[in-house]
Amino acid sequence: MGFIVSEPIDVRAIEAEVSQQSNGAVCTFIGQVRTRSRGRDVAYLEYDAYVPMAEKMLADLVERACSRWDVTVALKHRIGRIELGAASVVVCVGSEHRAAAFEACRWCIDTLKETVPIWKKEVCPDGEFWIEGEDAVKAG
Amino acid sequence: MTEPPSTSPAAPRLLGAHMPTAGGISKSLISGKAIGCTAIQLFTGSPRQWHHPPLDPEVAAAFKVTKAETGIAFTVAHDSYLINLAAPDSEILERSRKAFRRELDRAEALDIPWVVTHMGAHLDSTEEAGIALLVESLRAILEETEGYSAGIALETTAGQGTGLGYRFEQIARVMEGVGPHPRLGVCLDTCHIFVAGYDIRTKAAYEHSFGEFDRLIGYDALKVIHCNDAKKPLGSRVDRHEHIGDGEIGMEAFRLLVTDPKLVHVPIILETPDSDTMHAVNLDRLKRLAASQSLGIRVKVRLFGHFSDLSDTVEEVDLPANSTVADLAKLLGERDARLSGLQTACRAAVNEEYVQSTAVVNEGDEVAFIPPMSGG
Repeated sequence: MGFIVSEPIDVRAIEAEVSQQSNGAVCTFIGQVRTRSRGRDVAYLEYDAYVPMAEKMLADLVERACSRWDVTVALKHRIGRIELGAASVVVCVGSEHRAAAFEACRWCIDTLKETVPIWKKEVCPDGEFWIEGEDAVKAG
Repeated sequence: MTEPPSTSPAAPRLLGAHMPTAGGISKSLISGKAIGCTAIQLFTGSPRQWHHPPLDPEVAAAFKVTKAETGIAFTVAHDSYLINLAAPDSEILERSRKAFRRELDRAEALDIPWVVTHMGAHLDSTEEAGIALLVESLRAILEETEGYSAGIALETTAGQGTGLGYRFEQIARVMEGVGPHPRLGVCLDTCHIFVAGYDIRTKAAYEHSFGEFDRLIGYDALKVIHCNDAKKPLGSRVDRHEHIGDGEIGMEAFRLLVTDPKLVHVPIILETPDSDTMHAVNLDRLKRLAASQSLGIRVKVRLFGHFSDLSDTVEEVDLPANSTVADLAKLLGERDARLSGLQTACRAAVNEEYVQSTAVVNEGDEVAFIPPMSGG
């Protein structure tokens, strides 16, 4: 538990969780807040999650990745207000060889985006928008 | 199998409609019974005429027999539309007072406990003067009919034109002016109060508006409720009745009303359009809403994304047993049109597991509506 956090994510600390010496590869994915989205300037993001369900689903996701590729996985997703350039999600995968680490890391972030109940709201100079799949819905 | 413990009072809620009297006043009882009414409202004379022939004692006797036969437990009369007990014109005022005394005479002869009247209109006079005349009219009529059982129920109005009674304060002032009287009560019309500006569409709004009624007038004075949806918006002061749940008020207000334990003893009368075809439908809607509590379950609903801005993000909702996730989404959409997207745009999770929309929900479940996600 504790995949969802509200503080800034310490990337090096998460990497350290999967950097045991038996691993020849550590692959880290960082999702960070970018300045522009869908043609709009973004001031910052606010993330919300259905926390208890998201925690359960992320635990399940890590377990599935570990057994499918024989890797070790550590991840955190941050919620609340996140400034430009700061990390919203970090996925670290350690494995004996690089192929499994890349594949498992890609699968983890893709599956997270598709299935884990987390939403971002883009706070822009011209308003706030919930991002729901392909749609940006004006908030408020 | 044991019955679940019942918390409802022994007497069931009296529920019915305004029934036509074509073919004789007893017809209102018979046609009311036919569609499942336990209460009815009727005109004891033509509502658009000043003069009525005296009530034939045989007709009155037959009405009472039919009432006993049909088992209709509550009857209420509505007065003629011409009557204006606040009329500034002394001739019309006197005619109105006489006509209303006849209304009470007829109700008394028919064992009808209440005659509902709109509170009149002050027309080219002032509200103040109108209220004073109305108080005078009511005092005189109550005095002249001392010893009667039939009483006067002042109806909350829509506030069209110079009509009185669209603010609870006005009714309170009239009741205060007359002084406490066992034969003076109030009829609350849901359409009228809504278009007059009293919102009842959500639990919070309902509690606020009915709280105001209780504070200013008092639930004890409430003798009958007219249950009508409204074609026109909140505060429009335009009186157009609509079928239950199909108008600006919507289903949730009526669910709150028919399940309100404080009002369970007050008879409810529909005055919705198309009485021939739709009274039975509207009556059924109210009965289903009333049943949804006694047979129902309560679930916790959680909303996310832009839906979380539209409603409380965590809300307890009552719904009939064996409802599905789709039924719940539909109910929420009916209560608030902005939530109608829950049905089409969201996946659902029950107790933190994704389910199909056909999944049945159970007492105490937490149901989350999950719009397309955007984590990462």
